[in-house]
Amino acid sequence: MPKRLLNTFERWRSQRDRKNQPWYEHSYFVLDMETTGLDPKTHQVVSLGWVLVEQGTIQLDTAQHLLLDSAQIDDVSVGIHMITDRDVLEQGRRHASVLRYLRQIMKDKVLVVHYSPLELGFLKSLWRTQPMPALSFEWIDTMQIEVQRRARAQEVIAEGGFRLPACRERYGLPDYQGHDALTDAMATAELLLAQAAHYNHHDPSLQELIKLGGGRMRLSSTEK
Amino acid sequence: MAAIDIPEVLKFIDSTPPFSSLTQIQQKQLLTGVGLTYARQGEKLSLHGEHATLHLIRRGACEIRSAQGGLVDKLADGDCFGVSTVLEQNPDGLQVIVLEDSLIYRFQKNGFQSLLQEDEDFALFFAHTRSSRLRKLSRAHATDLATPALQLSTPISQIMARTLISANIQDTVQQAATVMTEARVSSILVLEQNKLAGIVTDRDLRSRVLAVGASAELPLHEIMTHNPATIDEHSLVMHAQTLMSEKNIHHLPVVSKEGIPVGMITAADLLRHQELSPLLLINQINRQSDVASLKQVCAQLNTLIVNLILTDMKTTDIGSVIAAISDSLTRRLLELGIDKFGPAPFPFHFLVFGSQARKDQSLGSDQDNGMMLSRTPNEKETQYFAELATFVCEGLAQCGIRTCPGDIMASNPKWRMTQDGWQQAFANWVEASSPSALLNASIFFDIRCVYGDAEPVQEVIETMQARVAKSSLFLATLTRAATVSKPPLGFFRNFLLESSGEHKHQLDLKHQGLALINDLARIYGLGCQRYRISTKERLEQAAREKLMGLDIARNLIDAWEELNELRLQAQRQHWQHSGEPSAYLDPSELSSLERKHLKSTFATIADGQTAALQRFARGYA
Repeated sequence: MPKRLLNTFERWRSQRDRKNQPWYEHSYFVLDMETTGLDPKTHQVVSLGWVLVEQGTIQLDTAQHLLLDSAQIDDVSVGIHMITDRDVLEQGRRHASVLRYLRQIMKDKVLVVHYSPLELGFLKSLWRTQPMPALSFEWIDTMQIEVQRRARAQEVIAEGGFRLPACRERYGLPDYQGHDALTDAMATAELLLAQAAHYNHHDPSLQELIKLGGGRMRLSSTEK
Repeated sequence: MAAIDIPEVLKFIDSTPPFSSLTQIQQKQLLTGVGLTYARQGEKLSLHGEHATLHLIRRGACEIRSAQGGLVDKLADGDCFGVSTVLEQNPDGLQVIVLEDSLIYRFQKNGFQSLLQEDEDFALFFAHTRSSRLRKLSRAHATDLATPALQLSTPISQIMARTLISANIQDTVQQAATVMTEARVSSILVLEQNKLAGIVTDRDLRSRVLAVGASAELPLHEIMTHNPATIDEHSLVMHAQTLMSEKNIHHLPVVSKEGIPVGMITAADLLRHQELSPLLLINQINRQSDVASLKQVCAQLNTLIVNLILTDMKTTDIGSVIAAISDSLTRRLLELGIDKFGPAPFPFHFLVFGSQARKDQSLGSDQDNGMMLSRTPNEKETQYFAELATFVCEGLAQCGIRTCPGDIMASNPKWRMTQDGWQQAFANWVEASSPSALLNASIFFDIRCVYGDAEPVQEVIETMQARVAKSSLFLATLTRAATVSKPPLGFFRNFLLESSGEHKHQLDLKHQGLALINDLARIYGLGCQRYRISTKERLEQAAREKLMGLDIARNLIDAWEELNELRLQAQRQHWQHSGEPSAYLDPSELSSLERKHLKSTFATIADGQTAALQRFARGYA
């Protein structure tokens, strides 16, 4: 028993040290999901787009864009995302294999999303659809970072000013036309780089970014 | 998934030359392993190691600068950099600095290199980019060269003369002089067993042999400077220049560690090296198209003057050079003003007064100028000339020619008059002035036209001369006013020095010396039939017209030249030391011989004043 306790402590300590390293020493999994609605309990994930950030650089070859099957495609989604049942059938993957893939890639990486309540909620519900090993990870919400930064600078941001395109515009990032999951994941990754570059005159540590807008979470298919 | 499958990436690559003309497969090859980075404004981007590769700006702005900091190119969305690091390991040491926050694609070196080999058009595009940057780089270098800092850090071995002209220590003066004449050099190294023992210069031959009537058969060691100052062959131009000005010498033997002479460097070499010739400066002035760039060019003016002083150029020549530059600058500013405000409604003349007119400006002279209009302007035309004159005077000030404390400037409406106006002004001064008012106006009697037809200005001068000739009272008043200030030649001490202020116990070479001679020359000049402007010419003319004795004229000219040289040297030292061209001299720094000399110089001025009072003010006392 004391040995296990010691191990736990060691793990905690190495994790803490790791988090105090500059942000670019870590790998980031930047994710965006297209869903059929805004409620994780009733709506489903249609597609996932992601890209990895390593050594402070967006590794474009790591970009992925996956459609999930068994999602109900309603007319609204078709209108916004131009995804049709045909796409779902052709490109869709079986849920289980997609999730296993996702879990494999997310391991040892920091999750980055824009607006965490929605994305984390959908991830949780995705995990419950299949029997999956649990997964713990740190996450960062670029929207929350932005809210904190602007609040600290006492800037008043108009309604809608924290949506992804509006945040990007403040950093002079280009205006992207598409709004599929992959483009939004790319857009979020670029926003993360800009936010890190604009941190108080030094490269922030991962811990500092998490403190500004992030946390730690555990995904499990059994827990309620 | 490959980067090419990301819609936003594909769209950008597809719309950016030369990538847009690549096939889909080639694009994919190039984009394999591409990374997207974000760089913050002001960041200097690394181009080393894995960053020594092709970069493409997705959004933002960067600039390429030479290793010395000269701007080579500005880049924005869709522009590439880092090509030379791939091809040649960045031989020019180019740096990339982020001007605006930028998103930058960083490609894999391998993919880029193989594409360069495989696709000729693609390679041609980058070869073109590269050569155009090289062109811009050489232009950036050219402006670097004009900055004194870079020139000063050149190793002297690059500019020294390597052909050694030398003599043996036992050789006679005659032999050395023959060698020097044949080799057309102004100095000779004196060697003793191949080591440097001394140096003999033209000046030494003059002052230590000819002036004292010494024999040409004397051995060199009797007249040479023993153990002269030398400089190590690995020193920089900067060191040579400092040493020369500290020791007040113009020849500096360059020696190896073992004391063996390996070269010679002269003040003239330094000047040539700096490529700061008056002609070049004037050319540059004439090529600039706005005040800001004129200001930049004129920043070299003081350095140029210092170099001219260092090379022992005659003081009158230095004055002409500075006048030529000031005149060009004034004319260029007028041209730029006319570009800006439109052509003048009628002809006008731009006049300069005082030292610029006399051509004896020095470091830090201020401006004295005015305008002569060919007719009376209406309200709108008045406005035009006011704007033009203000533009020129402010431009001159920005270029380092300070505004006149007495506001004798064309920007002052009082000094923009018609020909009649100026004639009337001179008439008033000649006929009705009090001595002190007259002295203040005396600067106007040194007048020169630098822009516009000179003929009408000449008419004004002639009318003025004629009026002066008729009014003997005027010259008497002017003489009495001008001789109130005496040269500092006191009974109780060698010098009557400024007894207060910052320059306490220092000699004001300008106001206590030069200005007095200028005033005398002006009086004689106005008394002459023919109008001359420069002090030296006025004195010569006065002697020619027998207004003054030839001896006094010559002595005054000598005194003026000597004081001018002292002033320029003092200014140079102050300027190099503190950046302030002060013309004050500390007599304690002079040798007793120089002091005696200076005293006789001041005695000459006093004699000149007495003679002038005799000539022009007798009977009016």
